[in-house]
Formats: sequence, structure tokens, C-alpha cells
Amino acid sequence: MLVMLELELRRLKHDRTELYTRSVQPILWIVIYGPIMSQIRAIPTEGIPYTDFITPGVLIQSTTFVSIFYGLTIVWERDSGILKKLLVTPASRYATVIGRSMASGVRAIFQVLIIIPVALLIGVRFLPNPLYFALALLIIFFSSGGFAAISILIASLMKTRERFMGIGQAIIMPLFFASNALYPLKMMPPILQEFALFNPLSYVVDAVRSLMISGDLTSLLLDVGAIALFDAIMFTIASVSFKKIIE
Amino acid sequence: MIRADHVAGTVGKTMELAVEVRDLVKVYERNSRALDGVNLKVEAGKVFALLGPNGAGKTTLMRILTTQLKPNSGESFVFGLNADKDGDKVRRLVSYIPQEMSVWTDISGYENLLVYAKIYDIPSHERGKIISDALESMGLRDVANNLVRTYSGGMIRRLEIASAMLIKPRILFLDEPTIGLDPSARKTVWEQLTYFKKEYGATVFFNTHYMDEADLYSDQIAIIDRGKIVTSGTAEELKHSVGGEVIRFSTGNQVSDDVSNKVRGLDMVSDVITSDSELTAVVKDAETGLPEIMEALRNENVTVVKVSITKPTLDDVFLKYAGTRLESGDRIRDVRQVRGMIRRG
Repeated sequence: MLVMLELELRRLKHDRTELYTRSVQPILWIVIYGPIMSQIRAIPTEGIPYTDFITPGVLIQSTTFVSIFYGLTIVWERDSGILKKLLVTPASRYATVIGRSMASGVRAIFQVLIIIPVALLIGVRFLPNPLYFALALLIIFFSSGGFAAISILIASLMKTRERFMGIGQAIIMPLFFASNALYPLKMMPPILQEFALFNPLSYVVDAVRSLMISGDLTSLLLDVGAIALFDAIMFTIASVSFKKIIE
Repeated sequence: MIRADHVAGTVGKTMELAVEVRDLVKVYERNSRALDGVNLKVEAGKVFALLGPNGAGKTTLMRILTTQLKPNSGESFVFGLNADKDGDKVRRLVSYIPQEMSVWTDISGYENLLVYAKIYDIPSHERGKIISDALESMGLRDVANNLVRTYSGGMIRRLEIASAMLIKPRILFLDEPTIGLDPSARKTVWEQLTYFKKEYGATVFFNTHYMDEADLYSDQIAIIDRGKIVTSGTAEELKHSVGGEVIRFSTGNQVSDDVSNKVRGLDMVSDVITSDSELTAVVKDAETGLPEIMEALRNENVTVVKVSITKPTLDDVFLKYAGTRLESGDRIRDVRQVRGMIRRG
């Protein structure tokens, strides 16, 4: 399982273009959208500057992007013979799926490490607590695994890259907008609030926001529990569907 | 004719079987019967070729043997282990190289082997030596630290063989090992495979649609067509089973059944196969057979455009048992697929 993380690190060592290009969008959110919207002061952020408020949301959105599109790598590995070969190794199917999923977490962490310096430059005040920061990274790492498992699931259902791209987009944007990434859940219409309750992205954003920005840890346990449950469910479903991917 | 479920030659009670397949059937969703009752035995320590045209069921059979797919009915065994039920144990004995490509192109050759060595749980103190031996014997030492993306098709295949060597498998499954490679790269790949087999005494089981490869490099051949094994034996036995010499007549028109029956009726003709405007006759001796057949064709008003006399090839064997010619050469699609894979990576 760990070897898949190592594989990902080695790939990043050789080619980091994707990380840089993918960081353009979140940086725009933080550098342009955040400061402009904060002029309005219409969104109740409980005393947190608006740009600071959305920074965790934007971070998570970008790492979720990385994870959801990680399935493209899986599609490529299916089109080449790599997945077939992996299925013929003694490694278990679960280890393969979880390992591949968590590998996207490696990418996500590096993505975060690119965006944070930009956020610091723009004046976002992170909590100066290394322990909290490390915990936040860990949460991002594990939640990325869950989203990548969704992506593996999609990959096993969608047989072409084009369809995959379409579905990927169609999943990410609703997750993003129906979450607390850009505004508190309280502001949403009631139906959307119900939906957000089942949106794993909300829990991740909430956890990372409390650890990086607000320092208010009251709901942290609930968040971590929700993320763990989400991961467990996604890993199981993705492992079951994984056999289908190569038939 | 050699019975399909008996490998010709020396299979005795004492001979260890690397692969045994009984009445294997695999039906895909689109209702196509990929395998339609396959029976097969492969002796341990041999190089075995499964020869057949594209779509004959070669890949499906290999994927069942390597525990990737489950059959609809029938049983298959690898060194006595049931591929369906004892998948975990089978996977520890086999290496498998799929038709397409099984290495990551965005890391180096060495890193690929390192990743596979870890996937296979090779202890860390042995890893370094095993990997460098594999690179050395496949002639990849100088390029070990280059990205696989920069490798040629032949080098990629050799890297895959190197990765298959890591666990010293008892049997190596290769699906179309030289598809899309130029003749000299094919030759190198086969030299490396021969080395591999000698070094580890492993059984090699390969799928191919190249007759010359099956002929040159295998100890045993089984011919598969439309999901059935139509015949099997050594290359010599198979060719012998066709008969003495083969005379091929190209005629201007479709050869009618009438004509082929007339020719078949001749004394020295042991078999006649027609496909389109071509008539192939198997005779004991071409020197005396040719004039007689020419005479018979002339009486039937068949114009002969071209005549050729050959010793039987596996193509003739295939024609005899399957009734069609084996397409030779790669389908463009396959070649493009492999090439595209490398570029995209």
C-alpha cells in the first residue's frame, strides 16, 4: 500500500507541471475573488476576514479536484495493461484500491503546499500552531483518499476519458457550491442545507478551517468521524467495483 | 488428427503439468462465446505457444489462467492449483505481461522495477541485487535511470520481462509479447525470453498470432480458433499432420466445390483446402502431383494464374483445422494502440 504513495512521489519528482497548472484556479479565488467579496461584508463569517474564511474552502476544493481527476490516471492504467498486471500480483484488491486512492493524497498535500505561501502573501492569517497545521494536512490527506475512491468508482463505470471528464466536472462543482467552502451553511436554502449535511466536503472544510484559521475545535471530532466513515464507505464500494474496471 | 485435449508427444503420468484446462467456457455480456469448451495441457518447463487469429479467445484464456476473470464453466489449474478458487496461491507462482504495456512511463526503468519489487514484497536486502541483475540481463543497465517514456517499444518489453523476472516465477504468461515491434526488436525480445527460461527453468506460456514465432520458439503449440482448441502438438508434428508437400494454385475466379472435389478425387492428393480464388492441395510428392492436378484443373476450365510449392507451414496447419487463413501481420489498431500508449504516458 505504501509503495503506491512512493510511486506517486517519484512521479511528482519527475513532473510537477500538473501541480502548478492546477494551482492557478485556487490562487485566483484567494487573490481576486476573496478580497473583492470581502468589500461587501454581507457574509457572516463570525469575525474572520472573508479571504481567510474561504481559504480552507478553496484549498479543499483544489485538492478535491486533484483527487476526483485522479481517476484519469486509473483510466490510463486500465487502457495500458498496468491494472491487469496489478491484479495478477499477490497484493490484495483492497490494498491496491486504497493504495491508489491514498496516492492522490500525496498530490493533494503538495498542492496545498503551493497555495499556502500565496495565501500568506495576500495576508491570510493562519493559526501559528504546527500541531494543528500538521493535523489539518493529515485530514486533507485522508479525505483526498475518499474522493479519489469516488473517482476510481467513476472510472470503473465510465470506459472513456471523455465521459470521465464530464462526470468529474458534474460532481465537483455541486460538491463545492453545496458546501460551506464559500459561505456558512446557515445562509443556504433549507433543502440545500439538508444536502450539505451529507456532503463530505463540508466536514473536511469545517475541520481544516477550525485547525488552520478559527481555532474553534468544538465540531472537530464530528468532522473527523464523518470523514472516516466517508472513507470507509468509498474504499469498500470502490474495491468491489474495481474488478469491473478491467472486464 | 491429434486430439485437442491431448498434448502430443510425451505427456506421461509422471510429467508435471504447468497448466491444465478442462471444458472451459467464457461468455461475455454481448453473448459472444469467447471460449467454447477449451481443453488444454501444458507440460512444466516447456515453451508453449497458443496460436490463433485476433479474437480467437487467446487473451480471455490467459486472463482466466492468471486469475483476472472467472469462467462461466469448466476448470483451470496452474501447477495443480485451481485458478478460480486458489487465486492467491496462483498469483504467487506466476508472472504476467499483458499485451498492452504494464510499466509506468513517467518514472524511470529502475523505479518501475523498484515499485514492482515492493508490490511483490521482495525483502529490502535482496531487492537491490535482484533489480540490478534483472536490468543487467535484459540489457537495460545503461538506460535504467531514464524515463520509460524515452524507451523504444522493444526496450519497454524487455523492462517488462525484467519486472517479470523479479519473483522468479514458475510460469510466465505473455500475451502477444512482440506485437508492434520491428523484426530486430522481436528477435532481441525472444533472445531475452530464452535466457529467462534457461536461467530459471520456468514454463513460458505465450499467445501469438505470428506463425513464425510459434514455429521458431515453442516446444508445444496449440491452435485456437473461435474459442476452441482445434489441434495441438509440436510444430513438426503439426506440419507433418498436414502431409508431404503443399501446392498452392491461384486462379482467376472463385474455386467451386465441384472443382475441389475433382482434385480431391485424385490418387496422390491427400487433402484439398480452398479459400476464395485459391486452391491448396496437399500431396505426397509435388513433382508427380503437379502435372496431374494441372490437367484436372484444365479439364474443368480453371485458369491457373500462379503456382507455388512449399513445405507445409503452420499457416497450412491452421487452414486445415480452422478452414481459414491466419491473418498475418499486425492489425493497425493494435500497433497504434501500443504506440499511442507510450506517447501518452
